[in-house]
Amino acid sequence: MPHPQSSWPFERPEQLTDALREQGASPEECADLLPAVRRLSEWQAPQPEPADTRRLLAVLSTELPAPSPVRQAIRERKPRHVSGLLATARAQVSLFGLGFWLVSALVTLLGAAVVLSNVVSDQDVVLRASGPLLAYLGTIVAFRGRGARVWELELVCLPSPLQLAIARLVIVLGYDVGLSLALSLALWAGGSGQVLALTLSWLMPLFLVAGLALLLSLRFSVQTAAALAYGSWLAFLAISSISNLQALLLAPALIVLPGCIGLALLSIALLRLHANMHRLLPHLSDSRTFWEAGS
Amino acid sequence: MRLALANLLWLSLVTGNSTRPKEPVKPHPMQERSDEQLMTAVMTGDQVALAALVTRHHAPLLGYLYRLVGGDRQLSEDLLQETFLHVLRQCTYQAGRPFKPWLYMIATNLARDYFKSAAVQKSWRGGDAEEALLHLDDSEAGPEERALAAEQGSEVRAALAQLREEYRVVLVLRFYQGFGLQEIAETLHIPLGTVKSRLSVGVHRLRAVLAPAQKGVD
Repeated sequence: MPHPQSSWPFERPEQLTDALREQGASPEECADLLPAVRRLSEWQAPQPEPADTRRLLAVLSTELPAPSPVRQAIRERKPRHVSGLLATARAQVSLFGLGFWLVSALVTLLGAAVVLSNVVSDQDVVLRASGPLLAYLGTIVAFRGRGARVWELELVCLPSPLQLAIARLVIVLGYDVGLSLALSLALWAGGSGQVLALTLSWLMPLFLVAGLALLLSLRFSVQTAAALAYGSWLAFLAISSISNLQALLLAPALIVLPGCIGLALLSIALLRLHANMHRLLPHLSDSRTFWEAGS
Repeated sequence: MRLALANLLWLSLVTGNSTRPKEPVKPHPMQERSDEQLMTAVMTGDQVALAALVTRHHAPLLGYLYRLVGGDRQLSEDLLQETFLHVLRQCTYQAGRPFKPWLYMIATNLARDYFKSAAVQKSWRGGDAEEALLHLDDSEAGPEERALAAEQGSEVRAALAQLREEYRVVLVLRFYQGFGLQEIAETLHIPLGTVKSRLSVGVHRLRAVLAPAQKGVD
C-alpha cells in the first residue's frame, strides 16, 4: 500500500545555501555542493496514517506512568521559588530555640560594647573573633538534625534536604546580617569611626567560617566541622597577630575577601550536599552493631 | 503568562534559524504547549499530553529512523515504537531539558544498538540488505533506469548507505529533519565543531558518491 510522502524541510533554495554556509562552506564550495545536497529531496520518507498513530498510542497508553493521587497532590502543592523558600524558612524558624536568638544578640552586643569602650587597642581583632562565633553557633543549631537522627524523616518529606539547608542558611545568615546592621548602628551612634570597615571585619569572617563549617560538615559531624572551622579561624587570627602576616592578609583592601571565599564555600557545600547525602545518613556501622548485638 | 512565554520560547526555538523548515500549523490548544510541558504532563500520567506529543513527533521521527536504517519501513516503525516505550519506561527525562534532542538521542542510540547486535551483523554480513542498497549505484544501469531510480530516490538512498554511520546521522538530522547545528550537538553529545566537520566531510563524500550518477541523469 502506498504511503503519503514527507515534505522536504527546505522550502526556498537559498535556505540550503545558508545551511551549507552555516556549517563553514565557502561560496565556491556551496555552489559545488548544492546540486548534491538538493538531490537529497529525491528520497522521501513515508508519512504515517492517522490509524498508525492510533495504533502506536494504544500500545504506549499501557506504559503510561500512573503516580498515586497522594504523590500528585504533593507535587501540585510543592513550594516554588522565593516565596516557597521563605515559606520553608518560616516553618524552620521553630528549630532555633530562644537561646540561639539571645546568645547571638548577646555576642554582638558584647562585641559592640568592647569596641566602643576602647578596652582593647585592636578593635578589628575583637570583631573578627566574635563575628564567626555566631557562624559557629548557627551551624551547630541549624544542622543538628544529623545528631538527632531525623535525617530519614527529612529525606521522605517535602521539601528536599537541599531546600531545608538553604532555608536554614537564610534564617541564620539573615539574622546575622540583621545583627551586623544593628552593630553598625550601635558603632555609628557610639561615635566610632570607620563604621563600615568595622562591620565588614565582623561580617566577612562570619561568612567564611559558616561556609567552611558547612563544607566540612559533609565529611565530619556538625559539631566537629563547626569547631574545626571556628578553631582554624582563631588560629589564623592568632598567628597573623603575632607575625607580620596581619598587615598582608588582613589589609583593608582585602577586607571582603574572606566573605567572598565564604560565599563560594557555601555554594560548593550546597552543590555537593546531594552527592554526599549517603554520608549524612546514619552509618552502616551503626546498623551492623545493632544486628551483631541482636545475634 | 508563563505558558505564553514558554510557547514564545518554543516558537523562537523552532523558527529562529532562517535555514530551518517551518513547523506545521498546530490548531489544537494542547498542541500549542511546548514539548517539554507535554513531557512533564506525560510523566504524571496525562494521556491527552501523550497523544499530543506522539502525534507531533510520529511522522518526523519515523522519517528520521526510516532514512537512518536505509529505507526499511517495518524496522523504522519497530524502532519508533521502541523509542517511545523507552521514553515512558525509563522516566529519565529531567524537567526543562530540551525534549527533541533527547528524543532523537534515544532513537539514534536504539538504531545503533540494533545494528550492533550480533544477529543483525550476521545477517548483514550475509549481504542481503547492504548489497541491495549498493546495487542501486550500479554504473551499468541505462539512462532510463537511472531516471526512474532518481525519481524514487533510490540513488540517494544508496549514496547515503555508503557513508559511514557518523556522517549519515548528521546529514539526516540536518537536511531531512531540519535540525540546527546546536540541536545536533545536543542530540549526539558531540561538540559543535565536530558537528560542522562531520557535516562538511559528509556532504563532500555524498557529492563524490552522487557525482557519476548525476552526470548520467543530466
